[in-house]
Amino acid sequence: MFEKWRNRNDAKVFHPFWVIVQKEVADHVHSWRFLILVGLLMLTCIGSLYTAMTTIRTAVPQDDSLNSFLFLKLFTVSDGTLPPFITFIGFLGPLLGIGMGFDAINAERNKGTLSRLISQPIYRDYVLNAKFTAALLVISVLLFGLGLLVMGLGLLAIGIPPSPEEFWRMIFFLLLSIVYIAFWLNLSILCSVRFKQAATSALSSIAVWIFFSVFFSLIIRLVANIAAPTEVATEETAVAYQQFIQNLSRLSPSQLFSDATTTMLTPSVRSLGPLTMEQIYGAIPSPLPLGQSLLLVWPQVTGLLAATLLCFALSYYLFMRQEIRSRS
Amino acid sequence: MKRIWNKAPLFLILMLALVAAAATHTYAAQSFSLYTPYPSITVTPGESINFSVDVLNNSSDIAESDLQVTGLPANWEAELSADGWSVQQIAVKPNSSQTLTMQVDVPLQVDKGTYHFQLVAGGRASLPLSVTVSEQGTYKTELTSDQPNMEGHAGSTFNYQTTLRNRTAEKQLYALTAEAPQGWDVQFKVDGKAVSSANVDANGTRDISIDITPPEKVKSGSYKIPIKAATNSTTASTELEAVITGSYDLEVTTPSGLLSTDVTAGDEKKLQLSINNTGTADLHDISLSSSAPANWEVTFEPSKITKLEAGKSAEVTATLKADNKAIAGDYVVNVSASAPEASSEAQFRIAVQTSVLWGWLGVLIIVAVIAGVYYLFRTYGRR
Repeated sequence: MFEKWRNRNDAKVFHPFWVIVQKEVADHVHSWRFLILVGLLMLTCIGSLYTAMTTIRTAVPQDDSLNSFLFLKLFTVSDGTLPPFITFIGFLGPLLGIGMGFDAINAERNKGTLSRLISQPIYRDYVLNAKFTAALLVISVLLFGLGLLVMGLGLLAIGIPPSPEEFWRMIFFLLLSIVYIAFWLNLSILCSVRFKQAATSALSSIAVWIFFSVFFSLIIRLVANIAAPTEVATEETAVAYQQFIQNLSRLSPSQLFSDATTTMLTPSVRSLGPLTMEQIYGAIPSPLPLGQSLLLVWPQVTGLLAATLLCFALSYYLFMRQEIRSRS
Repeated sequence: MKRIWNKAPLFLILMLALVAAAATHTYAAQSFSLYTPYPSITVTPGESINFSVDVLNNSSDIAESDLQVTGLPANWEAELSADGWSVQQIAVKPNSSQTLTMQVDVPLQVDKGTYHFQLVAGGRASLPLSVTVSEQGTYKTELTSDQPNMEGHAGSTFNYQTTLRNRTAEKQLYALTAEAPQGWDVQFKVDGKAVSSANVDANGTRDISIDITPPEKVKSGSYKIPIKAATNSTTASTELEAVITGSYDLEVTTPSGLLSTDVTAGDEKKLQLSINNTGTADLHDISLSSSAPANWEVTFEPSKITKLEAGKSAEVTATLKADNKAIAGDYVVNVSASAPEASSEAQFRIAVQTSVLWGWLGVLIIVAVIAGVYYLFRTYGRR
């Protein structure tokens, strides 16, 4: 049976790039690290789904116009004991990305397998590209799996099918999450290219993650206190100040991600910046159409995508210029 | 006996009456006389009079006499009664008196004037009586209204109070009909109940209230509604008048009825409005105004309609310019048209869309980064 499968596999000629990707995916799926991360994600996902289901009854809005987006509440409501699904993804997603990429290159180097790999008749950048592609594939499958699991269980529990718009909002949310995790993956691959030791790479990636999730908001608050306008500030200065603080906090990828996902999953969010009275006057609380929500978060999406690609380009540049020697 | 008297020539009656009048004193001095306290009475047609007549006997013998009413006009009826009996003769004890009642029914159909007749006791005494009929009697039905004219706008209900008077001798059942123009609703009510016919006793009255509801889109003007109460023998009719002043009503809408549109922030959008005069009177000087969110501009072309006939509509183009800082989502814009007599308002739901310019800028940034990565691939990848 095994032989047969293998023969058929051999008969089909794979591009060498996809051979490496296949191998990497297999490595990921069979590693303990991955299983632990998946277990962690599964537990939190089920936990958040449980709290969402217990509180979704109270979350039903009184206003009929917003009622149609009840299904999306599965991802955003919580009774306070456990954070909702989007918070978990925002918090554990980076961990997943870092966990899958921090030893991508340096582990191969330390084991001495990198030089052997390079000696094969393949382009050098296949190694890096394949490692990134493989990790991204695994992450995508995992996230879509989790997301669809929440949808399916939610459908079973509340019995209200999602509307097409809700469905597309969830798909966009999952795509956003993949981009976000891909950013951290690329960051950790960058570290793994730069640092020879896996531990250093892991620590530095995690340091960046902790900086952005814990200390960055503290620093923002500090700056906000210093830059705060006086009590008698005009409306324009107050708005400008708010805008400034918000732009500062948007340097953090996690802020970009939470802005984008909240808007995607809460259609009633109409603006992410401070609003003046002129803008609010005459406005009716109504959900935004999907296209408008996408336009609203487009800067965030652009930022995330650009940061991801920048990280990748940097690691690519570093990797290609590195000297790879076989260890004796 | 009475029949004979009735057939007697008039001059004889007059002669007798004169003789009787002249002889009253003589008779009074005599042993037998007739007495009533009120020999002359004024009544209205259809009434009946009760004369109380005392028959006096001053002699020491029992006096006995026939009683007759003479000179009674045609159709008048008289009846003598005493102690509940109808009497033709009377006997009075010596030095005593006897009371009897004479009931005279005045017919309904009688001319105005004074009528004379006598009560005659045999040949021994006579009592001249006179009845004055105060008004012209009729034998018909009357339908009257104190206020047959009313004014109101198209939506109001007119309530008329009429009185149906039966001046016939019998109880009548009247069928009530109205010849209202098409679309008018006329309802007769007696004692609060809707009826189509009414019973009225002989010489009785009944109040009939008539509710008239004009049609919904009635034109202004004065309308006459003939009302008729009829039996097979008698009819009465009157004419009610309702003056409709006309209604003023205005409506703001769009030709398609759709009251929502979308606009890109900072852009202009043209809206076709249709101003309808839904009232029944012409409207003049309709001005258009709007209340929009801050920094929005709404202009109308034309901004004023000088005259809009009843039932007609006018097209107005509104140009809406959204604030370029407006956030995505729905805003409310009120458009109102107002004439001195009526005004109307329409709420438009304007969905603001953000400009896609910045979206393309984002795409451009991403394309630039991808180009950079591609450059890296070309420079370092395939060596």
